[in-house]
Amino acid sequence: MVCIKQVPATTAEKRYTADLRLDRAAAEAVINPLDEYAIEQALRLQESGAVESVGFLSMGPEQAAEALRRALAMGGDDATLVTDPVLAGADAWATARVLAAALDKLAPDVALMGMASDDARGSLVPGAVAALRGMPLLSYGSELRIEGSSARVRRLTADGFDIVEAPLPVVASVTDQVGEPRYASLKGIMAAKRKPMETWGLADIGLSPDELHGAALTRVVEARKPEAKSPTERVEDVSADEAVTRIADWLAARKLI
Amino acid sequence: MSNDVAFLAEFSGGSPTHAALELAAGAADLAEGSKGAAVALAYGPGAADAGALGAAGASRVLVLGDEPSPAITHAAAAAAVVRDLNPLLLLAPATPNGRDLAAALVGLVALPAFGPVRAVRIEAGRVRTEQATLQGTVITVSEPTDDAGQPAIVLVLPSTFTPREGGSGAAKVEPAAASEAGPLGAARIVESHPAEAAVANLEEASVIVAGGRGVGSADGFAPLHELAAALGGAVGASRAAADAGWVPYQLQIGQTGKVVKPALYVGCGISGAIQHRVGMQTAENVLAINKDPDAPIGEFADLFVVGDLFTIVPKLTAEIRRRKGR
Ligand SMILES: Cc1cc2nc3c(=O)[nH]c(=O)nc-3n(C[C@H](O)[C@H](O)[C@H](O)COP(=O)(O)OP(=O)(O)OC[C@H]3O[C@@H](n4cnc5c(N)ncnc54)[C@H](O)[C@@H]3O)c2cc1C
Repeated sequence: MVCIKQVPATTAEKRYTADLRLDRAAAEAVINPLDEYAIEQALRLQESGAVESVGFLSMGPEQAAEALRRALAMGGDDATLVTDPVLAGADAWATARVLAAALDKLAPDVALMGMASDDARGSLVPGAVAALRGMPLLSYGSELRIEGSSARVRRLTADGFDIVEAPLPVVASVTDQVGEPRYASLKGIMAAKRKPMETWGLADIGLSPDELHGAALTRVVEARKPEAKSPTERVEDVSADEAVTRIADWLAARKLI
Repeated sequence: MSNDVAFLAEFSGGSPTHAALELAAGAADLAEGSKGAAVALAYGPGAADAGALGAAGASRVLVLGDEPSPAITHAAAAAAVVRDLNPLLLLAPATPNGRDLAAALVGLVALPAFGPVRAVRIEAGRVRTEQATLQGTVITVSEPTDDAGQPAIVLVLPSTFTPREGGSGAAKVEPAAASEAGPLGAARIVESHPAEAAVANLEEASVIVAGGRGVGSADGFAPLHELAAALGGAVGASRAAADAGWVPYQLQIGQTGKVVKPALYVGCGISGAIQHRVGMQTAENVLAINKDPDAPIGEFADLFVVGDLFTIVPKLTAEIRRRKGR
């Protein structure tokens, strides 16, 4: 089961609403780019016969169904969307709570995620889901393998890499080193329309709005533009020697040499 | 409820990581303001002998475990400490290991989590964090909600705090209360493959000369190494250069690589894609050398030099050596 998030496109212009939430209506929405790598990894596992089926799970507003359809167009078998107005503005803890409850119901051998979402960038959801579900975490894998009743990831360390292993079921996250995500073919897009997609509310996963504390234990109290930085100085159309003198002067003026 | 400021202190190869020393200094300053203690939760090889954290700022060290295992396997022990200590704040380094252990605490104890942040304050007993969100287009200030429990978990970017030098404080080192590791403890490192050559730690470098696709080959990095040596810095890279196998992935800067904060970043043959930018935009001074006058890095560099890196970089190295009198 691959958990995916719908996020504003990386390069889209972003706006905040008056209540300090991202104005999601204003930006083109896409599958979180890092989740596409998780999808790619899952589909490769299915193609090699290591896993039988691949499903997609998302928590988000109703429009997040589009992201699930796009995932289904890449491959996989079915999708589930957990949606409830209460969940708008969910933080890492509430998101993990909801995904963990849905995953408990779906009970996959591997709950796979991208290492971070493009918008929040906390990388907190995989570990929190593992903790909530009481299962091991295999995180930041540059490759995920399933062998018999265990899973292993190749994981970068400060000066090399480790192989980390855990018995199934596991929660896992992967990096963009797993391999470039495939494009959805026209055939895939057509096929996706016929794949099953379920929509669940909070009650379906046994959660009440009360226990989610308004979907967040954190709140934004201020949002502002970053401090304006000084304009770029350009060195252009000069000889290489002149350019080098200008760079060295610049470094010296800033006490960098 | 206590006013203590706890922090995750990872050890590696017998000593505290640079991130642990940074957080020790930050925790000590914050604890002084909150009138609490700076308490380290130490783990990893060498953690049992964590007295060095006293000089770094900690007044107390609780040792979660000192075996080389994934950070998250210490989650149950850390959760027990957090429940018992009930600190105001828990600082975690925004590294893969720090994030994993912090994330498990969010799940196990139901805690408000923030980050990665570039500043954290305590104002009238309340934790406030400052974060650059949405690829750096917005700065947000956040706090725990009124009914959120303690501690606030705060992921801290590298170089947010500066390690103390020549500190003399002593820390009381004690093992954390024994607790069952539980299912999170089931992940094991079954193989470890150190790299053949030493890899620079970019998070500690004050000068980084980074190369991208424009460098063209592994050999093309040689002049960048020379320039880095002349400037007393380290070499970094874009994902394109790491993907091509010209440098190890440990040198990748960006969204899925390292977040760095050097005094000087020199980008050579790097276009400045948003995913690269989020890893280096907090560098104090950004110099870019690129032959494309329209490269996006030209929009946010401090000094943008349009030209061929293969001509400019060697000449620049020579000029710097000359000015330094070597
Ligand atoms: C999910 C995701 C995560 C990513 N994470 C990262 C990340 O962590 N870090 C990262 O860097 N990227 C990341 N990327 C990739 C990123 O989008 C860019 O593709 C990448 O940064 C481009 O690398 P580059 O600038 O080296 O190459 P290019 O964009 O190809 O730029 C090469 C530049 O070199 C210049 N050049 C060529 N020859 C010369 C010469 N002789 N002299 C001077 N200049 C020359 C060209 O003008 C050009 O501007 C990620 C992408 C995705 C989708």
